[in-house]
Amino acid sequence: MPKKVLSDGTEISQPNRAVDRLMKRLHVREVPDEEKPAMAVRWLDYYRKDRRSLTLAMEGCVKCGVCAEQCHAYLGTKDPNNIPAARADLMRRVYKRYFTVQGRLFGKLVGAVEMTMDVLEKWYSYYYQCSECRRCGHVCPFGIDTCEVTMAGREILWALGFVPELQGAASAMVFERGNQGGMTQAAIVDTHEFLTDEMEEERGFRIEFPVDKPNSDILYVPSSADYLLNAETLKGAAQFFEYVGANWTISSYMLEAGNFGLLTDQRSVQRELVRRLWWSVADLGIKKVVFGECGHGWRAWKMYTETLTDYAVAGPGYTYTKVPLVNIHQEVVALLKAGKLKLDPKNNRLAPVGTYVTLHDPCNYVRADQLGDVFRYVLYNSVPAVREMYPIKEKNFCCGGGSAILYDDPEMYNLRIKFFQKKADQVRASGANHICTPCSICKAQFYPMVKEHNLTTEDGKTIMPVNGLIDFLGAALVFKGHRQI
Amino acid sequence: MAMIELAGKQVEVDEDGFIQDPEIWDKELAEALAPLEEVPTLTEDHWKVVNMIREYYLRTGVAPMIRKLCKDTGFTLKQIYELFPTGPAKGACKIAGLPKPTGCV
Repeated sequence: MPKKVLSDGTEISQPNRAVDRLMKRLHVREVPDEEKPAMAVRWLDYYRKDRRSLTLAMEGCVKCGVCAEQCHAYLGTKDPNNIPAARADLMRRVYKRYFTVQGRLFGKLVGAVEMTMDVLEKWYSYYYQCSECRRCGHVCPFGIDTCEVTMAGREILWALGFVPELQGAASAMVFERGNQGGMTQAAIVDTHEFLTDEMEEERGFRIEFPVDKPNSDILYVPSSADYLLNAETLKGAAQFFEYVGANWTISSYMLEAGNFGLLTDQRSVQRELVRRLWWSVADLGIKKVVFGECGHGWRAWKMYTETLTDYAVAGPGYTYTKVPLVNIHQEVVALLKAGKLKLDPKNNRLAPVGTYVTLHDPCNYVRADQLGDVFRYVLYNSVPAVREMYPIKEKNFCCGGGSAILYDDPEMYNLRIKFFQKKADQVRASGANHICTPCSICKAQFYPMVKEHNLTTEDGKTIMPVNGLIDFLGAALVFKGHRQI
Repeated sequence: MAMIELAGKQVEVDEDGFIQDPEIWDKELAEALAPLEEVPTLTEDHWKVVNMIREYYLRTGVAPMIRKLCKDTGFTLKQIYELFPTGPAKGACKIAGLPKPTGCV
């Protein structure tokens, strides 16, 4: 999309907007331009009352500036509006104008601004440059989570009709086919057969993927894009479940752990997926749900399922049974620690000896749930050698694609390259020649970005390979024929 | 919604140039779409990939897994990128008349 020019002449980059046809599929009615500012203020009023964390972010900031140097978006672009405090200020100034006494009385004198279309256009630019990684929230001495501001900003924009095409198209697929990738049952079964054949070539025996199998104990929910790009992750999970002899299944009704609703529209898209989850659980008699490698998905399921199950999601005819929701990495570690899995890191198909793997910590896994140690326990047991980047765990930087800002129009793509700068420096300094990241959005960002930043192995020519964590685990499992436990 | 002229016809495309109605796709349209994706002419190798994607799409409703595309056509991923510089998900799918892939891609 060409740059958007504001009334004062400044140019800003924005993601492509959804076209009318897509908006209809999402049941979003665009508010006419002249009514947008007033509607936005009403929505802001709703969200400040609905979410205390937003009010805290609006009232609390003292502009100490700690967050500036912690944000990969600011470090990569040096755009002052990408400083987390300044980005939140785009909303804070409006909040001040309408919801504080000094702002209402003195307006500009105290830094308050009127809500105008220019403000909204700026929101649409900068709230879709923020990747909701929450590294700024992690360091903030006041505990202000700027991600909450981005989230509220995006939801207000969505309600007004500022819908980005990428998130919109994926969300429309959720309503139509039940998953972001638009996978159909035919495609799921076909992909499984293909992977089963592939594993037979590698392992010498067939590992089947059960689909929609009634009376299963475990529902495995793979990550988005596993069916298009990340074949090894899907194979790794299948090998793990086969190894432990689980009675597991994949549901074509609730296929993907990803939840784009968290990122743009929690009111309808996220609820739709929560409903689908509980329907599948009731339908298939599931006792435990295991989620695949998906960063934002895990945050959505772990933190939001409870509160989004507040009305009849189970539907008529079903009793709603609550079952544990866990993550595949935690499952693996629990079994590894119990000594149930035999791994041979020296004999890993994906990481032959001489491979030095570096682990990129997906933001939502390490800052919404402290899984840094869990990842490392799996990785150190699966690959021959690890070379850590710096910093790691909850202090690690975002890849720059977080919250699916994976736009590929030239303007936004250039920004993506800049957002990745910090990560590229980290990877280069680590001295590794293979990247591991257990998140589909991170993978989708890494695949093109390792090329753009020319991250190569020692020979200086080969582009670094990128894999998930369960990929390595699956390849390191030592099978002696079929089921082991 | 943008309309562009391809192979002498007015065709509805989205902002990234993916055709909106997969039904209207034919060989002439594919040849007209190719130059937009840095493919000057469609050779036999290109057609092999495009036909496989098209056939899979009509059967299942989505694009095939990249790994499967490579295996079924016998090309490595690198060769596919040489054939379609903008990549299999964007370039090849667009030429094969599929809607844009969604999700974390």
